[in-house]
Amino acid sequence: MTSTEPAATRVAPALTTHPGFVRAPVSAATYRGVAQLAVGWIWSLTAGLLAVIGVVTAAALVPALGLGLVLLPPMLALARAFGGVERARVAAQTGVRVPAPERRRPAGGRRGARLWAATTDPAGWRVTAYALLSLLLQSLYLALVVALVAGAVGGGALTARLLMTDGRTWTASAATAALVVLVAVLALWFAAFCAQAGTLTVVRLARALLGPSAAAEAWAAQRAAESEARVAESAAAAAAQRADVLTETRAAALEAADAERRRIERDLHDGAQQRLVALGVAMGTARRAAENDPAAATLALEHAHGEVKETLAELRDLVRGIHPAVLSDRGLDAALSALAARSPVPVRVEASGLDAAGTTAQAAAYFVVAEALTNVAKHAVATRATVRAAVVPVGTGTETGAVLRVEVTDDGHGGAEAAPGGGLAGLRGRVAALDGTFDLTSPADAGTRLTVELPCAS
Amino acid sequence: MRIVIAEDSVLLLDGLTRLLRAEGHDVTGHRTALEMVAALTTAGATLPDLLVTDVRMPPSHTDEGLRAAVHLRSLHPGLPVLVLSQYVEQRYAAELFARGTRGLGYVLKDRVADVDEFLDAVDRVAGGGAVLDPEVVSQVLARSRHDLADLTPREREVLALMAEGRSNAAIADRLVVGPAAVEKHVTNILTKLGLPPDADAHRRVMAVLRWLDLNGDLR
Repeated sequence: MTSTEPAATRVAPALTTHPGFVRAPVSAATYRGVAQLAVGWIWSLTAGLLAVIGVVTAAALVPALGLGLVLLPPMLALARAFGGVERARVAAQTGVRVPAPERRRPAGGRRGARLWAATTDPAGWRVTAYALLSLLLQSLYLALVVALVAGAVGGGALTARLLMTDGRTWTASAATAALVVLVAVLALWFAAFCAQAGTLTVVRLARALLGPSAAAEAWAAQRAAESEARVAESAAAAAAQRADVLTETRAAALEAADAERRRIERDLHDGAQQRLVALGVAMGTARRAAENDPAAATLALEHAHGEVKETLAELRDLVRGIHPAVLSDRGLDAALSALAARSPVPVRVEASGLDAAGTTAQAAAYFVVAEALTNVAKHAVATRATVRAAVVPVGTGTETGAVLRVEVTDDGHGGAEAAPGGGLAGLRGRVAALDGTFDLTSPADAGTRLTVELPCAS
Repeated sequence: MRIVIAEDSVLLLDGLTRLLRAEGHDVTGHRTALEMVAALTTAGATLPDLLVTDVRMPPSHTDEGLRAAVHLRSLHPGLPVLVLSQYVEQRYAAELFARGTRGLGYVLKDRVADVDEFLDAVDRVAGGGAVLDPEVVSQVLARSRHDLADLTPREREVLALMAEGRSNAAIADRLVVGPAAVEKHVTNILTKLGLPPDADAHRRVMAVLRWLDLNGDLR
């Protein structure tokens, strides 16, 4: 495993590099290894052994009237706690960090399921295995290190003593002395080697049994991938939905604009154009009559004069229908008041502070109210109507904004609907194209309420 | 003479009725094309000397006036019809003139304000002549400009007036030239366009319009 190489190089340079092997007896890794083996062995011999005994005892008691089933979960939890301390110890003494195993929570909340999950908790069982194995292996390595060091020092001293029989002179040959020194040095080398190897073994054992199991890791990775896929999927679905909405509202907006153009053409054709032609005829008649019949000419001119005034009034209305000047000059508040003033049905207007809404939203709101009031006057048989308009904050967190909310209510006989091709349907298209909402509530005999919300341009 | 008018605008119907009555005509007005057709197709109905109709009328506000005129012409081929249109629609003119030009007129409503012109058109159509609005003629001529390259500007003016359905005398009057000069221009035009020389104004208009392919849209 290449990923363990950096840790192995640090923990056990003697096993991985040539200089590390040469310097083994004087390497810091050796002394850290000895300390680690000593502390680890004592810790395993006490807490680890207790955990193993607890778990094994509880498991052994399972056949005995299920007593073990009650004991097993707390014992496994204890084992996990030992595992946690052991991970901290390994990290402190070797610098190798092992991630905590994932605590798997049962999907169902039933007692049985919880108990089963606690009893079969793989992390707890793996810690138990670790405790047992690390105790055995650390004992082995520590014994080897102690024996080798003791052998080297003790054997060397004893040999020197034996060789120096009279206490002052060497009796053995130089070759024998050299051999003794060599064996002692080799023993020390091997002890250092064992200290490092033991530590590496502990590290690998911790990695294998104290961290997340391979299955848990794979499971976590799979879950992460799945959730990522879900996020991407929902984002794609949202985008597709938005595209649908945009396609739909764009078509509705085009349709509304088209209907508006047709209406203007019809108004001009049936109104101003006919009036002007009739005016032309009247003027022509007057001119023809001027020579022979001045009285008839005067009459025709009077007629023509009346026509001119009527035509002007009609054009004024038409121009206001295309875009009212008061809306551009004085804003929506004033334009709504003007609409109310022209309505044959008494209208109360509650509107203020509408300038925060953009001009597009204001214009749409104006035409909604104009159409609604026209309908109130034409169809509702109402005695009064109310127009409320306000800029209202909406949204939460980072998705905040404001909408221009316009509400037109009347006390008429209800039953209004946005019939396809009608004025209200056209306005609904216009509102939808601005990402607004359009709500028409008109139960029979209970008045009509039209509520439109338009996002304020930021 | 007896004139029947179909026009949905009360004001204009009123104005036209006054104008024509002042000229001594017997005028009957209808507000829809259907009403007019019904009045003229009942048994025993006497045909008027002239039918004046708007194109766009209720209920559909499209071209029912024109369709009524075409229908009545197919029932009574000799019935003079003057169609008033708010717009220059070459297609409308083409539909109307598809089966001949005798006693047919298609003029813009705006022309009505020019009372003398209008009354002249009324008389010409009632007398069996053809009247085509100058606006339509100029559109058709503009389309055929490529083929009229051989004509002098004066000849083009004369051609336009011919297409409007005017007689040689009216053309001479309009251009302030003598009848002989107009005769010469007309002969030159017909020769250059490869049309048979014909003194009959109706057949001449027909030939010119056919050459200009007024009906091109319909074929």
